[in-house]
Amino acid sequence: MITVTALARDKVLALLKSEGRQGLALRFAIDGRGPGGWQYRLGFVGPEERRGDDHVFEAGGFELLADPDTFAHADGTTIDFVETPEQSGFKIDNPNPVWGDPLAQAVQKVLDEDINPAVASHGGFVTLLDVKDQVVYIQLGGGCQGCGMVDVTLKQGIEVRIKEVVPEVRAIVDTTDHAGGRNPYYRPAKGTGASPWS
Amino acid sequence: MAWAPRHTPETTIAPWSRGHRSTGPARAGDSSPADAARAPLDYSLPVHRLLLVVTTRSYRAGAFVDAARALGLPLTVASERAQALAGLHPEGHLVIDASHPRAAADAIVRFAAHQPLSAIVAADDDGVAIAAAAAAALGLPHHPLAAVRAARDKHAMRETLAAAGVPGPAFARVSLSAPVADMADAPGFPCVVKPLGLSMSRGVMRAGDPAELARALERLSRLPGAGAEALVERYVTGPEVALEGLVTRGRLRTLALFDKPDPLEGPTFEETIYVTPSRLPAGTRRAVEGMAQRVVTALGLVHGPVHAELRIPPAGPIPIEIAPRSIGGLCSRALRFAGGATLEQVLLQHALQGEDPGQVREAQAAGVMMIPIPAAGTLRGVQGLDAARASPGIDEVRITIPVGDRVVPLPEGDRYLGFVFARAPEPAAAEAALRAAHRLLTFDIEPVPARGASIRP
Repeated sequence: MITVTALARDKVLALLKSEGRQGLALRFAIDGRGPGGWQYRLGFVGPEERRGDDHVFEAGGFELLADPDTFAHADGTTIDFVETPEQSGFKIDNPNPVWGDPLAQAVQKVLDEDINPAVASHGGFVTLLDVKDQVVYIQLGGGCQGCGMVDVTLKQGIEVRIKEVVPEVRAIVDTTDHAGGRNPYYRPAKGTGASPWS
Repeated sequence: MAWAPRHTPETTIAPWSRGHRSTGPARAGDSSPADAARAPLDYSLPVHRLLLVVTTRSYRAGAFVDAARALGLPLTVASERAQALAGLHPEGHLVIDASHPRAAADAIVRFAAHQPLSAIVAADDDGVAIAAAAAAALGLPHHPLAAVRAARDKHAMRETLAAAGVPGPAFARVSLSAPVADMADAPGFPCVVKPLGLSMSRGVMRAGDPAELARALERLSRLPGAGAEALVERYVTGPEVALEGLVTRGRLRTLALFDKPDPLEGPTFEETIYVTPSRLPAGTRRAVEGMAQRVVTALGLVHGPVHAELRIPPAGPIPIEIAPRSIGGLCSRALRFAGGATLEQVLLQHALQGEDPGQVREAQAAGVMMIPIPAAGTLRGVQGLDAARASPGIDEVRITIPVGDRVVPLPEGDRYLGFVFARAPEPAAAEAALRAAHRLLTFDIEPVPARGASIRP
């Protein structure tokens, strides 16, 4: 079951009306895992975008759709809308653990508590993509993507810490496309200038 | 008169001896490179920790970190700015003040008191003086500081080589602000203007007459880091080669000799293709290696990598430059040694053992292209990457400037656009593979006026 609160329902209906899109359904999807846990997506879809295996929930004026993969990780979720002086938006309360595998849970905990708070100081973040056969697959983003010192961060920091806390881990694989980094924290360059001792 | 006083290289500092690790900084003038070459080695000592001196702007950090990992060596990375995860692994990181090398070397010595070091290696130019000073203070194998300083300063290098009778072009040190008309001792034209300390062709320009020389000096004066003086030397004709070598007790072994098939004739000297093994006749290769050994000996380089550039006019090889570090950028990825070892693995083993591990390069030819920067501007995209990577003989294509960043050609540019790596049975095929892959690449560069673009040498 996925629940939409009255406040969220009213907001969705208002959006449908203001955009002239009455009759569309709202698709709720999990896009993957990110530094803060699950990464969600909400969007209006027409009849042609419905899937035969979608879970469909009547939300009071519109239908909520969730594909089977999403529902498997989101059963019991509540979608709310919050509005404060600082921010407003839909709030997803998902009681399901981000990882079912205890090894992945342990690695995620290291990322959340030790690594991501530290690399955030360089504008970076590390996402756990998967753990298979005791091999950890990660992706680096933000200031870490394309950073000239990423190998130092990875091999002198991330690997050391994860293996220290979760010794069952055999290897860590960085799957990042570092060439696609748009804002690396340290940018390589040829010599910075004359040696101060020259 | 614009010429500066002649530079006198300092005396060398203490040699290394793994059996007698010192507890404090050694004093200048303690001994000579010849003494260092005779220093006893003690191979029974346990391997402790390796310290890598690397700036946060280096292209070389990853290759050395990977090599240390492959060899199972505990590694400490010493850099001028904090690493993101240093707090989680304090013994693996050290922040040093790279602008004050003596203080940086002292910091390394203090660190070694708690975490014994077995070797200190600099990843590239910016850290090599710090590594030399710290290694000397700890009695670890390394090129001496005086030799490093002489090699890092283009004028000091020319003076040292001239004093040792090593052939070279006429040269002079000039003030960037002095009128060319005052340069009575100018080496003649065509000449090449070089900043004293920058590396990898930055700021290097050819001038064919006094007006071009004046423009080159003026342009160089606006290049950050170029300093107030420059070396002007007579242009040397002939093909150019690069020699990657390893020095042990003052004896040079060639790890790879690269041909540079694209002509480097100016007005700037953008390096593009390196291919090894060299296709030069065996006698010429021997002459190049012999000249490189003379340069090593004259400068007092005794232990560690060298990267030398030489030109080959009809009369025989002439040294252009020698750097007391390994090849720059990502170019080392073109080199593979016995058992699949990387260049950095060879260098780390050499630093730790005090002996040349003896690995030879693989039998097949290899090449690297430092992708030329076609224009100044903002990189908006790169097309053809997949096709270039799939091109025959191509190992890898790496773009190293992020989309959205400025690209600046030489002489001001300080970044590589990217690298293409190839392997083939023969050098000609490796070169052809690099050129074919490069033709498949298109760089979308949005033009913006480059600083200094209005003045051309």
